[in-house]
Amino acid sequence: MSEHAHESTPHGHDDHEHHAVPMKTYWTVFGVLCVLTMASFLTYTEIWRDQFSTHAGWSLMMAVSCSKALLVILFFMHLKYEANWKYVLTIPAAFMSVFLMLMLVPDVGRRMYRYSTERWEHTSDYTGAAFYISELLPLPEGIEGGDHAAAHDHNIEHRHADEHGEAEAPEHISLPPDAAAADQVAP
Amino acid sequence: MSDHGHLKLEYQPALPLSNGKLFMWLFLSTEIMFFAGLIGTYIVLRFGAPSWPTPHDVHLSEPIGAFNTFVLICSSVSVVLCFEAAKANKPRQAKQLLLVTFVLGSVFLGVKMYEYNSKFSHGIYPQSPHGLLYDQPSPYYPAAVRQTLLDSKIATPKSVEQETRNIVIDALIANLVTPAEIAAANAGNGSAARAEIHELAVHVQPVHGATPTSDWMAKAIADVKDKTTIAVTNQELLSSELIKLPADSEAHQDKQAEFAAVKQRVEALSQAAKVLQNVNPDKGINASINWLKLPMVIPGGHMWASTYFLLTGFHAIHVVVGLLVFALMIPMTLGPAKAGAVENIGLYWHFVDLVWIFLFPLLYLF
Repeated sequence: MSEHAHESTPHGHDDHEHHAVPMKTYWTVFGVLCVLTMASFLTYTEIWRDQFSTHAGWSLMMAVSCSKALLVILFFMHLKYEANWKYVLTIPAAFMSVFLMLMLVPDVGRRMYRYSTERWEHTSDYTGAAFYISELLPLPEGIEGGDHAAAHDHNIEHRHADEHGEAEAPEHISLPPDAAAADQVAP
Repeated sequence: MSDHGHLKLEYQPALPLSNGKLFMWLFLSTEIMFFAGLIGTYIVLRFGAPSWPTPHDVHLSEPIGAFNTFVLICSSVSVVLCFEAAKANKPRQAKQLLLVTFVLGSVFLGVKMYEYNSKFSHGIYPQSPHGLLYDQPSPYYPAAVRQTLLDSKIATPKSVEQETRNIVIDALIANLVTPAEIAAANAGNGSAARAEIHELAVHVQPVHGATPTSDWMAKAIADVKDKTTIAVTNQELLSSELIKLPADSEAHQDKQAEFAAVKQRVEALSQAAKVLQNVNPDKGINASINWLKLPMVIPGGHMWASTYFLLTGFHAIHVVVGLLVFALMIPMTLGPAKAGAVENIGLYWHFVDLVWIFLFPLLYLF
């Protein structure tokens, strides 16, 4: 870095440093960015979902996002063409961000795979988790944080069982006023 | 030299770049950490949640999100071309390109406003006062539905349409809300009670694709049809009485008024039956009856709304700041002297684009 420090005034330096990026580069990067956007968007289609797991889709989307970010940083933000000062400014920030993420990892792990009874009860929906508490069943294999489909299927059976088993009419409950006052027109 | 004998100090910049650019990069490195924190928090909350709404549940449109991504990429290109034009001493071209960037940024913001509006119109707000969101079918839920229905009633209906609404509301309260409350009260424990209230929730709006399994809506329709039969009998009775009365008597006028009221009610009842029959069980009451906005159960909906509005809101604030700077710079002569300034705002704008590149898949596609 010291060899750059005495090189020239900031302005002259800038002119010297950015030996003009050819227009073609910008348009190529633009094209690649558009294609990558489409690529991440296509993971949302049915065709993709039938073929690959959700996690594969997420990984691909994150890979696509990182590539796009890298392209923007390298070409649009000219970091590819800058002198070594770029490392002074970007590496510490990148480290801090990565550490910030890493510090959250235990939280992600603990919250994703183990739920306290209270969390099941209070943050979950009927179709998802509440059933498993009421029945004191262990969570089935397929069910993690957000997998509703499996839980839902299970619950439909549960509901049907309930409907057949339940014969007693709720007579001992008094109707609320609006229900009782079914308006009649006939005198 | 006038200050003879003093040490001549020479200023040496620590980094070989202009103060403006150094500032911008330092600022951006703090911004990286700022958004890393926000996105990290979102990831913990989203993937740690037992349930999270699908994009469809909360009316997120993936094509619109992709379009906005495209708009921002285009604006990134135009701002970098603007920098090149300014550097090459083409102020006119630079001005045009900056204008294009400004317009594209405004388009992004406009689309964002449209999206926010579609959330608000469906009762999804980051905070509770206006919101219709319920995270789970708790006992508060049917109470809220009942209250909303009662609030939507018109005290003295003046037209057939208004009376139709009142009839629909009464039928929904008597045949959907009340049975759910009774079943919940008779349920053995909290989870079983929620299972019963869940049935009401899926009538209002499907929850994770679950649709109604009970015959409550059929009962509501039958209820309205029964009332129609009674009202029609009543109408016939009144018309036969009306013929017997002398045409210009006071009694005749009274009967006439009564007859008109019953006639309106018959019409309203038959329309109400149609409204209820038109409710698509796969879409729910909220989507089928456009004048009714009932509280809805979206598991994890509150957390979704908080994170969505926080992340996109902070991003939108950055877009607004960028647009303000563009607006200030458009009147300037964008020659080589201003190339540094254009480069700096360009760096900022690319960063805004960068954040969206990560937000788009995280918010719309995951």
